[in-house]
Amino acid sequence: MLTYIARRLLFLPVVLIGVTLLVFVAMSLLSPYQLVSTYIKSPEELKNQSLDDLVRKYGLDQPAHVRYMNWMKNLFRGDLGYSVSASMPVKEAIARRFPATIELALFAVIPVVFGGIWLGTISAKNYNKPLDHLSRTFAIIGWSLPDFVFGLILLMVFYGVLGWFPPGRLSMWADTVVLTGDFVRYTGMNTVDSLLNGRPDIFWDAVRHLIAPVITLAYLWWAYLLRITRSSMLEVMNKDYVRTARAKGLTEKVVANRHIRRNAMIPVATVSGSMVLGLLGGVVIVETVFDYKGIGLLTATGAQQLDYTLILGTTLFYGMLLVLINLVVDLLYAVIDPRVRLE
Amino acid sequence: MVMKKLLRNPLSMIGLILLLGFVLVAIFAPWIAPTPENNKNDPFRVPRYGWGSNPEPPSKAHPMGLTQGKYDIFYGIVWGTRTAFQVGLIVTGLACLVGVIIGSTSAYIGGKFDEVVMRFVDVFMSFPFLIAAIVITAILGRGLDKVIFALVIFRWTGYARLIRGSVLQVKEEEYVMAARAGGVSHPKIVTRHVLPNTIFPVLIQASMNMGSIVVTASTLSFLGLGAPEGYADWGQMISFARNWILGTPDNPLTYWYTVIWPGLAIVLFVLSWNLIGDAFRDIMDPRIQG
Repeated sequence: MLTYIARRLLFLPVVLIGVTLLVFVAMSLLSPYQLVSTYIKSPEELKNQSLDDLVRKYGLDQPAHVRYMNWMKNLFRGDLGYSVSASMPVKEAIARRFPATIELALFAVIPVVFGGIWLGTISAKNYNKPLDHLSRTFAIIGWSLPDFVFGLILLMVFYGVLGWFPPGRLSMWADTVVLTGDFVRYTGMNTVDSLLNGRPDIFWDAVRHLIAPVITLAYLWWAYLLRITRSSMLEVMNKDYVRTARAKGLTEKVVANRHIRRNAMIPVATVSGSMVLGLLGGVVIVETVFDYKGIGLLTATGAQQLDYTLILGTTLFYGMLLVLINLVVDLLYAVIDPRVRLE
Repeated sequence: MVMKKLLRNPLSMIGLILLLGFVLVAIFAPWIAPTPENNKNDPFRVPRYGWGSNPEPPSKAHPMGLTQGKYDIFYGIVWGTRTAFQVGLIVTGLACLVGVIIGSTSAYIGGKFDEVVMRFVDVFMSFPFLIAAIVITAILGRGLDKVIFALVIFRWTGYARLIRGSVLQVKEEEYVMAARAGGVSHPKIVTRHVLPNTIFPVLIQASMNMGSIVVTASTLSFLGLGAPEGYADWGQMISFARNWILGTPDNPLTYWYTVIWPGLAIVLFVLSWNLIGDAFRDIMDPRIQG
């Protein structure tokens, strides 16, 4: 196990360099004048200097490898430039918005994983029976519903008509409370902070705002997980060791949970990496639809206003985050399937 | 044989009928929604009827109503079918082509070269597809051609990996060895002997990806990064609906038609591909048949 972890960690810098190179190539598609904006630290710098001066100052007229090294030096210092659309440094904008996205993702992951696996198990157990057809139809509709369409319809019904799940992160009154000095922001996540501050009313308000985005994110991925759980359960069910387990008189419950489900989870763990990728992408749309102020909305507004500094900064951030998440997923994978460690 | 099974399964049957419907709409678009005289040379531009931005409910002249900016929804949906097919087919075609060329060459040459190419593919695949597409379109600027480019750049890797796996197996087969011993040139071996025996799974995968490609393209339009304003595109039609989704205080559903019609078009289009793809997968998956 230790060598496995060590090997994964050694591979980490290679992927990180790959990610930075990719972002850098994307950057090189911009002209030096457009790029200057990604280097300026505050609007003050634009005074008394022409664009040509700035291009020279930041070495944007240099050959590519020199520019790459300079850019990397800035990155190591944590300097991602100044964002015009957010009117603050990119680093700060990301730090402020990130807790919101983490909160959304955490609330989404649990229903997605458990719901998806549960549906897949039901489908497989009732293979080709009405219940199987029903849950597959449910799933395939979800798989075909683009998240922005589904989100808008949820918004129309559950906010417009019923008034249950409003957009945004908090209601106006709760927002005022949160912004006052008495309310301590421990984590930036509204649900956690409100509990730590002993404000169940704000907690409930935050949850109310999370429900519709979470459903939107979850529906699509239920379908995906259902599909994978179902087919791998079906495969495992016909295995010899399952028959042996039944033959030696184990109860159906033990066979299902210990022998079938455990082995069927291996392919599910394999796709969890790509699921995280998809969830992070989905967050951009869901946050835009529900006006939920996290990193996704930040990226989307940045892209609409052609704020290159912000787009490149958040992309890099996404890249780094994903590399780390993939690492965790791989480690979990090794825990679930011992054979992986021996490779 | 495969076709027969597709026709016997009720779900894939629905998918095929829906798809056929969309093909017909795309082909007969000029007759279903005739282009008004004043923009005959640019049929993909959705005609506007009147000034102001308020949507207008369905009427005799405009069966699905007018959306924000008085764009005709029915016209946009009919011609948007052509856009959807164009984007889907071009992106899938190009991504397949690039993926097959790179993947098969990499596997056929093998060794260090293969190793490097695959690490390269890994880096591409480690980015969330949608975010990568957002970055590329934001940098290159608005337009459908840029959307297509961005989608191809981040879609070929899946096909490259898929075909690489099959080529690695097939290249050790005796008929390939025989061809090599017989002095057949490498490009000829790949195109004549290796690819015909490995391309089938890629084509199936491609047909199953059509739906998700059209969704991503319309997502970009929804975010305002896709087709230019007024171009017949389903994603954009839905982005027009965003400001009207809550209706008026006394009737929250006043503007239902701005989101329901274009939403239905996308959902049914994607659903048709997914129904067919799902049935395909079940037919092709021998594990489940046992």
